[in-house]
Parts: sequence; C-alpha cells; structure tokens
Amino acid sequence: MKPARFEYYDPRNLQEALEILHAHPDDGKILAGGQSLMPLLNMRLARPKIIVDINRIEGLNYVKATGTGVAIGANARQRALQTERLIGERLVVLREAGSFIAHPQICSRGTICGSLAHADPAAELPALAVALDAELVATGPNAARAIPAGGFFQSYFTTALQPDEILTEARFPAPPEDMAWSILEVSRRHGDFALVGIVAGLAVERERPVINRARLVYFGVGATPMRVNAAEALLIGQAPGEDAFDAAAQVAGQEIDPSNDIHATAEYRRAVAATLTRRALRAAMEKLKAN
Amino acid sequence: MKIEGRFIFPASIQPVWELLIDPQSLQACTPGCKSLSEIGNDEFEATLEIGVGPIKGTFGGKILMREKNPPFSYSLVVEGSGAVGFVRGEGKLTLEQSEDDKTAVLVAGDAQVGGLIAGVGQRLLEGVAKQMMGQFFRCLQSQLGTRLAKSAG
Amino acid sequence: MATTRTIKLRVNGADYEGTAEVRKTLVDFLREDLGLTGTNVGCEHGVCGACTILMNGETVRSCIMLAAQADGAELMTVEGLAKPSGELHPIQEAFREKHGLQCGFCTPGFLMTTYELLSKHPDADEEEIKEWLSGHLCRCTGYQDILESVKLAASRLRNS
Repeated sequence: MKPARFEYYDPRNLQEALEILHAHPDDGKILAGGQSLMPLLNMRLARPKIIVDINRIEGLNYVKATGTGVAIGANARQRALQTERLIGERLVVLREAGSFIAHPQICSRGTICGSLAHADPAAELPALAVALDAELVATGPNAARAIPAGGFFQSYFTTALQPDEILTEARFPAPPEDMAWSILEVSRRHGDFALVGIVAGLAVERERPVINRARLVYFGVGATPMRVNAAEALLIGQAPGEDAFDAAAQVAGQEIDPSNDIHATAEYRRAVAATLTRRALRAAMEKLKAN
Repeated sequence: MKIEGRFIFPASIQPVWELLIDPQSLQACTPGCKSLSEIGNDEFEATLEIGVGPIKGTFGGKILMREKNPPFSYSLVVEGSGAVGFVRGEGKLTLEQSEDDKTAVLVAGDAQVGGLIAGVGQRLLEGVAKQMMGQFFRCLQSQLGTRLAKSAG
Repeated sequence: MATTRTIKLRVNGADYEGTAEVRKTLVDFLREDLGLTGTNVGCEHGVCGACTILMNGETVRSCIMLAAQADGAELMTVEGLAKPSGELHPIQEAFREKHGLQCGFCTPGFLMTTYELLSKHPDADEEEIKEWLSGHLCRCTGYQDILESVKLAASRLRNS
C-alpha cells in the first residue's frame, strides 16, 4: 500500500502553484493537509501524476475577521476551529463540529478548505458551509471567483472547482445574531464517518414565540449536503415546540434520498435523520432560551 | 446491491428499442467507456475508466445482451475488473409504451462489487451506481433527441 | 524533475538527513532510512493510529504524510520518551504498571498521543482522555487498562 509514482512540487508562492496546475489540467492534485488525499494515494485509488503541495506557501494559514464574519485560508488546520478565538466568538457551531470532524491527530494536519474541496458526502464542513451561506474563493491562474456554498458542492467528491483552480479561502459571514445553531451526527463509533448528520439553525421573533428563521442541512444522506427547504418552510410561523419540530422531522425524513450500504439502510437513515432533526431543533431552542 | 430505475423517452417503442441495442449509443453513453468492440453475437469487449472525483479506476470487461425480446425487453450483463476491484451487474430492461407516444424504460437488476473499492468505498457504492445509471439514461435520452431531429430534418 | 528529495529534520533532539523518493511516506522514511523502527505501520490510511508521532509539538499520522513534508521539522517518536540511560518516561512507566499493553503494536501511537494530551491538558478528565485516545485502535487490551495507564500518568505528571 504505497503510492504510485508522481512528480512532486512544493512551491513557495501561490502563482507558481497555479501555473503548475494549469500546465497539467488532467493530472494535477493539490496536497494540503493530505488527510483525505494520502489515503487515496496509499491505496492507489487515486493516481495523479502531479502533486502540488501548498503547505509551504506563506500567507495561506489564517483565520481572520472580515466585517462581522470570518475568512479561513487554504492552509488553516482543522484544529484552528478549537483554538482560534474568532471562531468561538463569531461561529461557535464550527467549534462544536470539531470532535465530529476527525480525531485530534487528523485535525492537526487536515485543513478546513481541504475538507471543503474534497467534498466527502459524509463530511461536516461542507454541510456547515451550506448551512451558514459560506462563500468559497476559487483562485485560478488569471482570476479568483467567490462561489456560494449552495452551488459549490455538485456530487460525490466533486465541486465547482476547475482543474486549475485552488480553493484559497472559505468566507463565513456572521449568521444572524438571533439565530442559534446545533450540529449532530450519528456514526457507528465516535470519529467514524457520519451515517447521518444535521446542521440546524433556528430563530424566534422577539415579541412573540414564533419561529421566523430556520435552516436544516443534512449530510451523509446523498451525494452532497442537502438543505431541506420544505422542512424549513414548515417551521416558519409556527410556535417552537414538539409539534412544529416533529412536523419538520417527518418531512425531512421523506425528502432526503439516502442509499443503502453495509453500515445502514436507507430506511434507517431516514429514521435517524428525523430523530436528529427533533434533537437539533430542541438543542437550538435551548440555546435561544439561554440567551 | 439492487439496481432500479424508470426513465421516460419521448418516442414510440420501436426507435427507443433500436437506440438501446445500438452499440454506438452504448459506447457513447456508458460512463467512462474508452472502447467497445463486438467480439461475438451481442457480446462486446469494453474498457471503462470510471471514477468519482479523484478516485478513478480502469476496468476491462464484457458487456452482453441476452434474452432479446424485441421491442419489449432484454437483459444486459456487465462484467469488469481492474486494479481497484471488480464489478458484475445484470439488469433487465423492459420497454412500455404509454398512450401518448412515450416509452418508459424500466431497469431492474443486481450488481456485485468487490475488491478494494468495495471495501473502502462501501458507503458510496449504491449512490454512485444510481448516479451512473442516471447519467447513462440521460445521455441516451439526448441521443434519442438527436436521432429524432435528424430523421425529422 | 527529481524523483527524490533530500530531507533534513530533527528527531528526538538529534539531526538527521536522508534522501528518499518523493512518494515515500514519513513513517517509512523514519523506519527504513533513519532506522527508527519504534513507530509502527498499521492501516496506512490514517485510521488505526499506530503510526502516530509528534511533529512540531502536535500528534500527526506519519503514514499519511510524505517524508518530504517533514523537511525542516522537529519530530518526536517513541524512541524519544525514555532517557538515554534507559529510564522510562513516567507515561511509559504508568503503561507498564497498569498493563496498558499486551503485544505492544499500538502502544507507541498511544504513548505519543498521551504525551501531547498531558503536555497541553495536564488536568484532562476521563472524557477528554477518551476523546484524545479515540483515534487509536487496540486489538489486545480492550482499552480499559490503557485508560487507567493514562490516568495514572496524568496524576504522576501533575504531582512531579
């Protein structure tokens, strides 16, 4: 289980990395944290001829404030979600996702942008990006473009990135102040890939107990993170509580289209998605009450 | 794993049948099909390069058409193996014309996947298989569109 | 395009240099080129934890790193725990006392994670210990004795 041969570049600046990728449109792969790519290389499930290691490019490892939100650079490690003060202040749900994302030994190398670019259907960060309306900055040899998360994740391990583009930044706007968030996941063992997961957001009107904002994004249930608008719509205008949460949970369970595999049946995933919906909404509600 | 699907084609049963048994449309629409050559009666040798994202594998194998009952149904058997694993699928395709000059193609079958991709990629197999089947039939639908346009023009 | 790289790094306080194919993983480089065979190769895809070492103070999976990526880095492997005299590190001593190993294959990985955990969170409670150790698989012990070993090491290090 050793990688097949490849050419290895570890440029010191972004432009050089982009030029190398551009020169090898079908054969190049970016190596950042390597926690997803290296297993594929070791097992020879992926055999790119060119590896462009971006770890030595200065200025890509940051978590910084942008207006009221946070911008995360290509080389920022997943551990930063635990250690960066800004995350705790502005996007605490990203911190809560920490132990679901991976074990500490993986998070020390794995990058946030790398997880987004890899687009594993069972991953947490893509679902969080969709739930929080993040923008993903794709930098190519001539230009950079900001792609809304909703259109970024296209299929299994497939994003809107062109072969000669690098995901250089993930921008998370500050979520509405009155919204509370919860992330939950079920896996066979702690740290395993999610069988089903949910990112839920909830807001209630100031004057009266009526839900005015809801976000429900599921992962592990399809080729990409899945936002269930129908379930969100059911919540708006309702009193927050078991009746509304249950109705949303039932719709969510029906709307998702999970597959069967040896770990779980589609039926099981639907049932778990519904249960997690209720739990996540309750958890978000508790946070709202606490504030 | 089970393979199931239902795909609607905007034509009567005969042109849809002809499309489905045509090796050229099979080659054009089978995901990753690099080569397809007839080696016997309704038997083809094929090389497929398929994958999702960075995960790719080359499979060499056979495609067989069996139990032809024109224009109503036939069975398709696909066998392939490569460094990343092997696949064997068998499916029955049934054509049903509905009143308004539309034909539904129903797919019912089974696939076994083994080797490295099956071990490591277990959680993705069914979803990816569904997706590839969808790609295959959407491609055939557009091929039909092209054929009908040609014969009309 | 060169197919090999010269890698200079510091391991357990000593400077090393080696030349390896660019596709060589760090764990293979440590074992084969540097002769440091304490770190073990298990699953080779980052799941089992047997290959865990410290790089610049943080635990990493050396089986899913390229050796070239460690050029210029400061590493610690299991060989760096005991003193040159052979005196065991308190973590190793605790594992010995609490029978935290049987075949020992997973042990170097557990030791390195315990080292980082207790360096950064000396007051770690059982939940936090379990969280950190969850990235390691053991086929022999059933984990209880490993947990006890880490707790004992924590209390010894706190009191020293």
